[in-house]
Amino acid sequence: MIIAVQFWSYFADFAGCKKTEIEIENGTTLAKLHERVCEQFPKLAEAKNSTLKAVGVNYQDDDFVLSDGDEVSFFPPVQGG
Amino acid sequence: MKMELTISTDAIDEAALAKRREMGDGMGAVICFLGVVRGSEGDAPITAIDYEAHEQMARHQFGLIFDAIEKRWPVESVRLIHRIGVVPVNEPSLWVEVVAPHRPEAFDACQFLIDEMKKKVPIWKKPLSV
Repeated sequence: MIIAVQFWSYFADFAGCKKTEIEIENGTTLAKLHERVCEQFPKLAEAKNSTLKAVGVNYQDDDFVLSDGDEVSFFPPVQGG
Repeated sequence: MKMELTISTDAIDEAALAKRREMGDGMGAVICFLGVVRGSEGDAPITAIDYEAHEQMARHQFGLIFDAIEKRWPVESVRLIHRIGVVPVNEPSLWVEVVAPHRPEAFDACQFLIDEMKKKVPIWKKPLSV
């Protein structure tokens, strides 16, 4: 299945794009997708430990199993205010 | 609890916001907080901050924070405006108003809201210099 991935803030600069699509197998977790993303966009691997991950509008843990149609966001710590 | 959230590129008009304030007879405390863009980021001078938001998620996360406030304090209303786009130095990027019966819960809820926003609401800033 295809997962839509978005990068926000300076992660978009690190990746060189704001959006991409990644093909994954059924049962893939958010952690596994993050690993795939870091392989594809090596600069994002440098910020791996501080990366925040959301599916749709909610934060999710690494063991979250992705489903067809999910939209995943990767971004740095938030800075509102 | 009444909740009003605005995420916008428009400047914050405090006078207009104050004019639109609605308070019940039992309300004795109004806290208004302004977050204003400073003229430096670290040691470097800046002219503005460019704010970016994942707006759909930001709205959802603000909603969760407002729900948590409603469960914890007897707050009558919360209004919040967060600007996005370029906000010049000395201009507010954030305006929060909390209306409650008494001062302690109004201050506590306002502080909680801003603390949680800074942890969970997906908004980022990019300092701009000349």
